[in-house]
Amino acid sequence: MSPQRFALWLSVPVIVFMLAVMSYPMAYALWLSFQEVSFLGGRRTEFVGLANYLEVVRLREFWWSAWVTVHFTVVSVVLAIGIGLGLALVMHRVRRGSNVLRTLIILPWSVSLYASGIAWSYLSRGQTGIATSLFNRLQGITTTAEAHEISLINSAWIVDLLALGNAWNMAPLIAFFLLANLKTIPTRLYDLAALDQLTRWERFVHITLPPLRYTLFVFTSIATVLSMKLLDFIFVMTAGGPGNSSSSLAFTLYELAFRQSSMGLSAAMSFFLLAMIIGASLLLYVFWGRKIGEEA
Amino acid sequence: MSTQPRSRFSLLAAVGIAVVWTLLPIIWLLRLALMPPSEAGAFPPSFLPTELHPAAILNILGHAYTDSKGHVFPAAGQSPQILLGLYNSLIVSVLVMVCTILIIVPLAYAFARFEFKAKTPLLMAILFSVSVPPVSTLIPFYIMFTELNLTGTRTGLVLINLTVTVPFVTWMLIGYFRNLPPVERLARIDGFGRLATLVRIVIPMAKSGIAVAAVVSFLFAWNEFVFATALVNGTNATTLPTSVSGLMFLQPQPGQLAASLFLSVIPAALIAYFLQRHIADMGFVDVVR
Repeated sequence: MSPQRFALWLSVPVIVFMLAVMSYPMAYALWLSFQEVSFLGGRRTEFVGLANYLEVVRLREFWWSAWVTVHFTVVSVVLAIGIGLGLALVMHRVRRGSNVLRTLIILPWSVSLYASGIAWSYLSRGQTGIATSLFNRLQGITTTAEAHEISLINSAWIVDLLALGNAWNMAPLIAFFLLANLKTIPTRLYDLAALDQLTRWERFVHITLPPLRYTLFVFTSIATVLSMKLLDFIFVMTAGGPGNSSSSLAFTLYELAFRQSSMGLSAAMSFFLLAMIIGASLLLYVFWGRKIGEEA
Repeated sequence: MSTQPRSRFSLLAAVGIAVVWTLLPIIWLLRLALMPPSEAGAFPPSFLPTELHPAAILNILGHAYTDSKGHVFPAAGQSPQILLGLYNSLIVSVLVMVCTILIIVPLAYAFARFEFKAKTPLLMAILFSVSVPPVSTLIPFYIMFTELNLTGTRTGLVLINLTVTVPFVTWMLIGYFRNLPPVERLARIDGFGRLATLVRIVIPMAKSGIAVAAVVSFLFAWNEFVFATALVNGTNATTLPTSVSGLMFLQPQPGQLAASLFLSVIPAALIAYFLQRHIADMGFVDVVR
């Protein structure tokens, strides 16, 4: 058997599977985006051409949600990468008890997004949150009547708070992949750096960071894609609120399809989101990934 | 590493911050499960439980609890749903894990080690399906599954989970396989056929990577919420996340909500512990190339 045939033979089942399970819904979504779906007297569809797409562009909600998605994604990615790098460096330095520390640090990643949504909303809501608890405790207030309620949820920074929670969930996996990379840096390099009397910062920039660049790029891409399509965490923690201050595109899509039954409109909007996700990955690749690829 | 007192202190401080950051949201929730039910709903919320109280945990598992003062806490009405969800989640997650591994090991191997026509477009198709947001396939899947009578079944849920895990995990493993030492020619000299090389040499060599892939796909199915809510919520195929969501906004019983969430986190955490050890073993340097 030729290598080509062997490789094809290995991958054909998967190709069939992907085609059967993936293309059909995608094609259906595409078809749906050109239809007006009505539920009065049984489900009926009517071809409306590009009307759904035009309506999406005219919707103020769409532009707001697109902005929320961008804002949420940028803050999430910066925090997740920053925190992931921080956790990796801490785990790398610790010798005694490193096994215990690593087990603790991976924990948030195994907590599902809906559970972390609940955990973060309990932590930050006024009724149940840590701010209320600490404040009243410091003031020595124990009765319900006298207690003050301090909510950390505020439409001014709710998107950033959501991004913080999202980063809490994603950072551990990033940290572990970075840690695996850090372990491959020869300690000899640090001895040489000490001879050259490099400062801590120089050591970090010139020795620690370069071997991490590819992993950083890949995880920036992954975190971007995951944050842009994130639904469950936002759904559970804020349900798009207060008001619509945290309704990202993924959330608005869900609302349109399942609460308002505007299937066609929602399908059309989902292609805008898909285009944004692919666009963001391409931008990252063109401005960052390609360079690393050339250097490596 | 230097052992000067100052750097020692800053390392300790960093470890402290990392641990608090990691555990705070978890502990804030866990403490509710351990509080007496009256305290869990109290305002202002107390910082730590005044006494450890097993009522919430027992109630959610379907047992009534009577405390020393003769106060009875009846089993939670949601308990059968939660236990059913636990059972379904285990079945679905294990099936997803097994199917994902069976599908992707040969695939990632073929992509990593052989050059063939249509390789690039196929690879692009995989990466493309990683970026498709679940919400946009949710509507078609929902309609399609209604027509095929797959809503409310575990089979449907397994299929849907696979559409996400297969591309994601394949993408993870390709780089890993590419990085394994090139043993094919040696195996050939020793008289192994291609399939035997894969099964008897490459797979044992790639165990750590495959273990990580298995864990990632298990956890994905275990935690999947969006598809499950739309497709199996309220049916006999309900999974743990969806049955827990039934408790989500029951304000009077936050302790039971917390307890049921911990029920869902414990298996995941055990698995994450296992994952943590294997990532370290993988020599993951180039897994992403």
